[in-house]
Amino acid sequence: MDILLIFVNIVIFLALAPLFEGVIRKLTAKVHSRQGPPVVQPYYDVLKLLGKENLVTGNLGFKMAPVIALASILTAIALIPLGFRENFLTQYADIITIIYLLTLGGVAILLGGLASRNTYGVIGASREMITMIMVEPVLAMSFIMGAVKTRSLGLDSTMYSTLGSGYSWSLALMLLVFIMALQAFVGRQPFDIAEAEQEIMEGAFIEYSGPNLGLFKLYKMLKQMFYAVLFVTIFMPFLKTGFFIADVAIQLVEVLVVIVLIAVLGSTNPRLRIDQAVKYFAVLIFLSLAAVGLSVYGI
Amino acid sequence: MPNIDEVKKRLTDKFKGDITNIDQPVNNRLFVDIKKDKVKEISNEVIAMGGRYLVSVGYDRLAEEGVLGLIHTFSLDKDSIMMALRTSTPENEPIESITPDIPNAGWSEREYMDLLGMKFKNHPKPKRLIVADDWPADVYPLRKDVPWNLMPPPAENVAYELDKCPEGCTVVPVGPYHPTLHEPAHFSVFVDGETIKGADYRGFMTHRGIEKLCQTQLTYNEIPFVAERICGICGSVHATSYSQAVEQAAGLKISRRAEYIRTIMLEIERVHSHLLWLGIAGHLIGFDTVFMQSWRVREPIMWLGERLTGNRKTYGMIVVGGVRRDITPELKEDILNVINKIEEELLVVKNAVIGDTAIHKRTKGVGRITKEETIKWSLVGPVARARGVDIDARRDNPYAAYDEMKFDVPVFDDCDVWATVLVRIIETFEAIKIIRQCLDKMPNDGPVLTEYLDPLAPGKHGLTCVEAPRGEVVHYLITGKENSPERWRVRAPTYPNLQGVPLMLLNDQFADLPIIIGSIDPCFSCTDRVDVINIKSGEVQKMNRHELEEMSRKYKK
Amino acid sequence: MWLISKIKQVLLVAKPGVVTLSYPFAPHPVPKDYRGQPYWDHHKCIGCGGCAAHCPARTIMIRDVCQELRVMMYDGSRCTYCGRCADVCPEDAITMTPLYEMATGDKNDLSETMELFMATCHRCGRCYDHETGNSIDKMRNIGYRYDSIEMRAVIPKTTEQLDLNVLKETENFKRPEKK
Repeated sequence: MDILLIFVNIVIFLALAPLFEGVIRKLTAKVHSRQGPPVVQPYYDVLKLLGKENLVTGNLGFKMAPVIALASILTAIALIPLGFRENFLTQYADIITIIYLLTLGGVAILLGGLASRNTYGVIGASREMITMIMVEPVLAMSFIMGAVKTRSLGLDSTMYSTLGSGYSWSLALMLLVFIMALQAFVGRQPFDIAEAEQEIMEGAFIEYSGPNLGLFKLYKMLKQMFYAVLFVTIFMPFLKTGFFIADVAIQLVEVLVVIVLIAVLGSTNPRLRIDQAVKYFAVLIFLSLAAVGLSVYGI
Repeated sequence: MPNIDEVKKRLTDKFKGDITNIDQPVNNRLFVDIKKDKVKEISNEVIAMGGRYLVSVGYDRLAEEGVLGLIHTFSLDKDSIMMALRTSTPENEPIESITPDIPNAGWSEREYMDLLGMKFKNHPKPKRLIVADDWPADVYPLRKDVPWNLMPPPAENVAYELDKCPEGCTVVPVGPYHPTLHEPAHFSVFVDGETIKGADYRGFMTHRGIEKLCQTQLTYNEIPFVAERICGICGSVHATSYSQAVEQAAGLKISRRAEYIRTIMLEIERVHSHLLWLGIAGHLIGFDTVFMQSWRVREPIMWLGERLTGNRKTYGMIVVGGVRRDITPELKEDILNVINKIEEELLVVKNAVIGDTAIHKRTKGVGRITKEETIKWSLVGPVARARGVDIDARRDNPYAAYDEMKFDVPVFDDCDVWATVLVRIIETFEAIKIIRQCLDKMPNDGPVLTEYLDPLAPGKHGLTCVEAPRGEVVHYLITGKENSPERWRVRAPTYPNLQGVPLMLLNDQFADLPIIIGSIDPCFSCTDRVDVINIKSGEVQKMNRHELEEMSRKYKK
Repeated sequence: MWLISKIKQVLLVAKPGVVTLSYPFAPHPVPKDYRGQPYWDHHKCIGCGGCAAHCPARTIMIRDVCQELRVMMYDGSRCTYCGRCADVCPEDAITMTPLYEMATGDKNDLSETMELFMATCHRCGRCYDHETGNSIDKMRNIGYRYDSIEMRAVIPKTTEQLDLNVLKETENFKRPEKK
């Protein structure tokens, strides 16, 4: 049964991530006063890209990068307890695993960008690296706070920390920080600096096309949904019914709320410059450190 | 503040023997024939009198007089005078370059090195500017003995030599195809980390040979339609400016009603162009909501254009002697309704843009150059007005019905991109105000088209300017035989402004490059209208899609 | 401050709602005087060639096959839809239709060819008279025209400036090609 849940995780994510992407696109279109594409458009996009001819312009790293990215995010997805039910793998993972797996995805983008030997790809990769370095601590802090509260590094206990200890000031601060960093986690405006189509033309992805690009697109959609689920599990654990299917359904509705938030934030902000973004992240890191500090004292 | 007689007096006093003739066909135009040795001194004197360099015009008189003509034009904005210094030089004799003192003349002079084979002494950057890299060195396409449809065979392995990258910087090629540019042009940007330390420009990749075509193939009455297609955004501006140049050369006075209709068309174009720019600017800083919303506000004015002229853009409204279609009372009502609605919606968009701190972050302090540099480089339009230079051709050299209009010219001292945003938004409101005044004051009768029946005498000169949304358009026309101009020179506003871009880019972030280039509202095809080249550097081989794919793969592996 | 401006923006965009049209699926009408694809009415056309003389894009070709037969061809692939031909037509034989959906894979779809049988004037041998002030008289090209219909090129020379080579040149005319 527990082993089956792993597949449930992966199937739900693979099936719904493009749908949430479609919701974001539709909402963005509404903000633009446009009709926008159909909600199912991202499915077509990915399918079409996967069916295209595979053009490889770089070395082995270039070919491997999308696979590594997708594999890392799928592994991370397989680990998390969706619907407050641990699966077979959750017990073997801890927060360090999850952070490393998420970083691995970013590293894969770096690899792809650098391996494509394109000036814009290299600029994109360097910006991706800076963003990663600055955002990673915020993500780590939000896990570490859970770890401090539950005195355990285990993935399940960390993710249930709010469920166990309830709301506190430190959690509220961390929630604020997480929302402020959300756009950077999912790589949307104002923090899509590494992709910036007007300046560096999708940055690290510039040389990608066909199935490889399709895999990267899928990776980005999955990552987006993953962070939304993470947000929901850590910060919005109320409404737990105890029935698995009902819990999953409730969580997905909450994820939809987060997705709406992402869409609205993304469509009402211009892109920041990398130097401005770094200053912004520095404040976030400081705040998240403060939140962890508070949680140590149980506030 | 000198008036036109004082200007004449000052020049004749100082350069008595070097000025052969002063011609004043209309009140505020001066055509001064000078000797070629004193070009530099007299140009500097004009600048010292408060003149602003516009453009140079070179033309071929080899068959008739054995010389190449060169005209430097200036505008004395404070005194509403436009001035041309005409000189000529035999084919092989060099002429003194004015670029060391007036940097903006650099492109004009390089143009005539390429196109007419003129030679300039002391030019700081005598590189190829206009013709393609594989164009044969001894064919000067603007000379009359070169046929308009000449296509020399393409050459292999030739490339333009870009400026050397400074020590410690890397080159980022922007273009020829880049989402920022919308049109082909190449910027080679030297960056140190993310900071720009310099840039070189290689453009003129979309030459359509419009000037040569019109001088050899088309007649006066056909040219307005081609002139309109110089630019997709400010077409009427070019058609008006050309028509005015012909009218000035012919001494034709068009009806007042036609002038009012021209004014309305120009201002409608300004409203649409500024809204378009605001959208593009939003897009360039990655803010697509501003893009979509300002284009939503803009759409009714496109439909209005469709109802007024029969087309969304390239109105085809303005011809030599007046306009083609009249504005009926119903259309008047229509215009009023549309501009009222736009004003209302624009106010909301304006408040949203001005109140948004995130936009301030991306535009304030970006693309900064000082007022002195702006004047030195003779930048024009909103780019200059955002840097404290108070020029506007509508007010300084009134044409059409602008002498009766009351409007403000917004000028800001911020010297950055944010100020250009403000200038353009305020100008849109001013344009709406002007349209209202026009509809109010327009004479109710009178022909919209004045016919000119006599043949135009050859050798007459006309110099006009029109304030386009992105700056000032200058047209210089020399009438010729056989019902077509001998020389027609177009200077689009991007021509001077683009020369100032490397200066604006200096020491800014690479991420700001799109908005800085975007802030001058570049229109590369306006700038690239000059000659007969369709061949891009060595890359024109006929190949089908399959071969191209094969090649691109091979090249990368 | 930042938050307020964002909320304002969202409210602002909510007001106009969706404004884009479902154009390819629903027809989009054009205003009354729209300048769409020009249409030649061969019943009205007198073959004066005024349209050909005034077309800025040189899309209208005329070939006088013989005294009585004039072939006129409109090549829409280069047309700029300025409507100048409709303006100058003395017989209103040209109308600018509201058609604008003209994308096609074959540019011949946009062309229109007319064969006009010309009556002969007893005075001058052509079908139009030479009184001054006549609108036809203002047209530049008097005499035979030999535009290259095959190559779609206007050759701005007529029998007024005729020498026999012109005819040959016309038949062998080729547009300059890129190599």
